[in-house]
Amino acid sequence: MSYLPEQLYREWQFMLRQRYILVLLVCTFLISGFSVISGLNEVDQQLQTIDRLKLADNEDRSDAQAKYNDVGLLAYYSFHLTYSPPSDLAFAALGERDIYPWKHRIRMLALEGQIYESDAQNAELAQAGKIDFVFVLSALAPLLIILLFHDLYASERTSGRHDLLVTTARSSFALWGARVAVRFCSVLVCLMVPLYVSTWLSGTSGVSVLLTSLWCVVYLVFWTVLSVWWGKRASSAPRVASGLIGVWVLLTFVIPILGDLAINQTIHAPEGGEIVLTQREAVNDAWDLPKKTTMDAFIATHPKWKNHVEMQSMFEWKWYYAFQQVGDQTAASLSQEYQTAAKRKYELAGYVSFFSPPLLLQRHLTHIANTDAVAAFEYEQQIREFHKQLRLFYYPWLFTQPEIDKAGLAAMPSFDDVVQNWPEGQSASGAGSAPQIHSIAR
Amino acid sequence: MSANGITQVLTVAKDELRYWVRSKLALSVLVIGILLTLSSVIVTAINMTELNHQRQSLQNTAEETFTDQPDRHPHRMVHYGHYAFRVPSPLSTLDPGVDAYTGNSIFLEGHRQNSAMFADQRQGTALTKLGSLSPAFIVQMLVPLLLILIGYSAVSRERESQTLSFILSQGTSIYTIIAGKGLALLSVVTVIMLPLVISGVLAISQGESVVIAVGFLLGYVLYLLVWSLVVLLFSSVFSKKSESFTALAFVWILMCVVMPRIASTTAATTVPTIGKLETDFAVIAQLRQLGDGHNAADPAFAKLKASLLEQHGVDTVEDLPVNFRGVVARESEAELTKVLNKFAEESMSQELSQTLLSRNFGWLSPMVAIRSLSMISAGTSIETHHRFMRETEALRFNFVQALNTAHVEKLSYQDDINRNVDEAATKKARIGAENWQVLQDFNFTADPGEVRLQRSTDSFFQLIIWIAVLVGLIRLAGRQTL
Repeated sequence: MSYLPEQLYREWQFMLRQRYILVLLVCTFLISGFSVISGLNEVDQQLQTIDRLKLADNEDRSDAQAKYNDVGLLAYYSFHLTYSPPSDLAFAALGERDIYPWKHRIRMLALEGQIYESDAQNAELAQAGKIDFVFVLSALAPLLIILLFHDLYASERTSGRHDLLVTTARSSFALWGARVAVRFCSVLVCLMVPLYVSTWLSGTSGVSVLLTSLWCVVYLVFWTVLSVWWGKRASSAPRVASGLIGVWVLLTFVIPILGDLAINQTIHAPEGGEIVLTQREAVNDAWDLPKKTTMDAFIATHPKWKNHVEMQSMFEWKWYYAFQQVGDQTAASLSQEYQTAAKRKYELAGYVSFFSPPLLLQRHLTHIANTDAVAAFEYEQQIREFHKQLRLFYYPWLFTQPEIDKAGLAAMPSFDDVVQNWPEGQSASGAGSAPQIHSIAR
Repeated sequence: MSANGITQVLTVAKDELRYWVRSKLALSVLVIGILLTLSSVIVTAINMTELNHQRQSLQNTAEETFTDQPDRHPHRMVHYGHYAFRVPSPLSTLDPGVDAYTGNSIFLEGHRQNSAMFADQRQGTALTKLGSLSPAFIVQMLVPLLLILIGYSAVSRERESQTLSFILSQGTSIYTIIAGKGLALLSVVTVIMLPLVISGVLAISQGESVVIAVGFLLGYVLYLLVWSLVVLLFSSVFSKKSESFTALAFVWILMCVVMPRIASTTAATTVPTIGKLETDFAVIAQLRQLGDGHNAADPAFAKLKASLLEQHGVDTVEDLPVNFRGVVARESEAELTKVLNKFAEESMSQELSQTLLSRNFGWLSPMVAIRSLSMISAGTSIETHHRFMRETEALRFNFVQALNTAHVEKLSYQDDINRNVDEAATKKARIGAENWQVLQDFNFTADPGEVRLQRSTDSFFQLIIWIAVLVGLIRLAGRQTL
């Protein structure tokens, strides 16, 4: 046997005889396995939910369309499902999907009154957090690495072998390098094999898998180097581990929490409630305002209909939908501010995460998996775009032709089309996400 | 234990404290721990008090704007709606619980049960995904680590340096040593608990029930006692301090980092809940049979019409002494609310069984036990949120029906159906603003102390069993040493 494999084989044999290392590795494998299996399960449930919703949504809308002949009533009772399906890597990075909604049903009424509705999951479980692969890797793996590597030198020192080993070994790699390599590869395999099996099962795109692997390896190397370096001169293993765990607490909790406090102090967002209140006041006041006031505000943004705003009765649907739109317009600046503040906070958090590798890894992986806040913001924009298309679709009927032509309903915009035509540059898919990762930080 | 025994225990404890002071590590860990706890208590207290004031004033504004509305058609006020805000409980300064994860305001209107809006997490930085600065998190997650870092070598150190056999040979029992070391750890627990106790007293002064505040603090003492015992156990079982450290660190990782998430993930996957969107379809299907309350001509109301006509002995709805449109609105709101409530209760009970399942993991991890105990006692658990949803629903139903009754009694049917004829008719189809005084004062408070205490008994039981088992194991370990 040649020199290098011989060394590695020897260290492998050594490792197999150390029971606590084996226990650690088995636990690592089990936890990583549990995280991806439950992730797959969760994603599967989400997909099934979307399928069921799509079916029910279609049926419900067809019913409404069959039942009503008045276009105003038809629009009033037609709901439209919008959703953001989990990506092929979402099982590994569930991300923000338990906090931001990924499904919404909207109709042609004022959007600001609808879009903040959330179909959230159990809050108490969301508060505990779920165990997904990203969590295992970013928070748990460093601890396991610390436990595996902190006593590399110290254990030999305490057992009095250190100096003997150093003087007899052919090179320092032969001794420490081989040991580090064997342990590192073992922990890497235990962590990543469950992931690879699942990516294979769910047909994840190669680019996503490659990027994910790259980040994971870089991250694990960081912690390994830190642990080995920290333990180099020390003679007391627990002291090394205490220091390393302290660093872990600092990077995982303290820096992010301080960053969060600082960001929340600097960025002031309007209260969410204010948006809905403004919108509600605008919509309700419209009933008592002269019709002209509402229509003027409406045609200011929709000049196309300026010759069709005269009303024959005290109530007409075109006026009703016009004041819904005017309600949105009144709340628009507040809503914009609210969205910008949320985006800005997430961007600033990108800076903070440069000082917190676990958070940085989470941001990268959830970005690759398209499950981060950025993806949630994008979904919200898609809903807004769809709502706009829906309005523009109904306006000709509302303003010019009172009689509805039901065959024409087939041309109704669909949310799927909005997503499909979404500008590529804005859509965050796994491929080509490198420049975007940069842009989150900015 | 004899007086002599107590003196011996005290001596051991004093020696341990002296060792900590000498070893810089223990001292700095202790200082960091106290600073973290203290700052979290202060910051969270400030935040929650601010939220409390903010939401209280929003609630008052919402009530004022409602009652200040001008003369209107009563049904317009039904759609105008009202807002309710969840004011955090006094103990939420120690454990904000689900507050940031559920919306804290809800829009109440006719014909619909909205979900709570504007969860703070959605405006967040996503930086606190792994942990937040709440005292609850710090004490549940980090203080055990601190106890480990301080105490891992308590007994194993003595054993490794052979001093243990020396002390034992002098006639000191191993239990005396363990008790002394334990007492030293308890002094750390006491110091850590101090800021919490002060905050608890403040909560009592703000109207929190004394029993629940004491129970809350007692829960944390039990929890830290569990960890002190774990530290003592592992320290006594292993003969090398590096081994006792690794084992303790590993146990901490499993109990505090992994288990809570395994609990929530398991609960979410084994008891899947159907989201609001999906139940909405079922609601819609049932509602379609009830008829649209805006349309008094809907055939679904034929029976109601017939019985009403017969009751008043008239032939047409125009001759009724009451406004038929209002009657339909009131009737259909009542029917609809029954359906909505049925589905809401179903989904809440699903959510609850999910939560209860995850709480059972308290048998496997004391952290899960204290987490549940803490949130339940503080009134920031899912049950309190459900209570908020139920109370706001009652508030919604009451004001909507009060407005519908005004619609029935105060507005004539003729004026009502002619409301869209011209400007003057629209004006005529209104009732006075004095009818808007239908809101009940909404002061949301957490469940009464006894209810919360009763809910948390399981978690208390879990922690006590943990203590009993650990004490048993330590006795066993001690016996083997002899």
